[in-house]
Amino acid sequence: MLTDVGFTDATVGPALDTFGGAHGELNARAFDVNGHAFLAHKPLCAG
Amino acid sequence: MSNDVVFDAEALRAEVRDKYREVAVHPHGEFHFHTGRPLAARLGYDPSIVDALPDRAVESFAGVANPFSLRRLQPGELVVDVGSGAGFDSFVAAAQVGPKGRVVGVDMTTEMLAKSRATAELLALDHVEFCDGLAERLPVADGWADVVISNGVFNLCADKRAVFDEAWRVLRPGGVLQFADIANGNPVPPEAIAQIDLWTG
Repeated sequence: MLTDVGFTDATVGPALDTFGGAHGELNARAFDVNGHAFLAHKPLCAG
Repeated sequence: MSNDVVFDAEALRAEVRDKYREVAVHPHGEFHFHTGRPLAARLGYDPSIVDALPDRAVESFAGVANPFSLRRLQPGELVVDVGSGAGFDSFVAAAQVGPKGRVVGVDMTTEMLAKSRATAELLALDHVEFCDGLAERLPVADGWADVVISNGVFNLCADKRAVFDEAWRVLRPGGVLQFADIANGNPVPPEAIAQIDLWTG
């Protein structure tokens, strides 16, 4: 979706076990949910 | 989560608002996620910044990763924090951009806004402000921001395309979107997506 909007050079950081040990851990494990950092740029030539 | 499943977007927004009202008012309550200083440490935030913040700036933090881990903000940058909550990421951003920068946090939850504004005043941070608004309709001028940050918010928005379009609108050409959010490795069935309480807990 980032690239659909026009962002470029998208980077995704490593998975973090955000919910480990929390009450939501069971649901997180069921759907393999992890936290990530994301980075993307709006091109200089964008209007 | 997919955008292709029919559910009540307004009900989702109300549920999210209720959940995070609780996090603002009762930060040490029981939630499905971690909160506060233990969470900030778990997500790898710079302790030299976090340790300098008072408890009220950190205790309601409920992010999912670290939006500063792939890029540190630069002094003087203009930053929009989408879904700023009680202000933790905005205060981290304020420390990184310094007094020549500016941070605008946007949140839709009254109690979160009250808490973040009071903390900014306590810290005498005059380069940070908090505004009422939605991720899909940010109260920020076109092309104002050098950087848009967010943490654990986009996954709670029904119309993700609208949220990314709005981030695009407020960024200047050459600007940066750096955010943290969750991603699922296993597919979530449509009946689960339609179940609103699964979105928030």
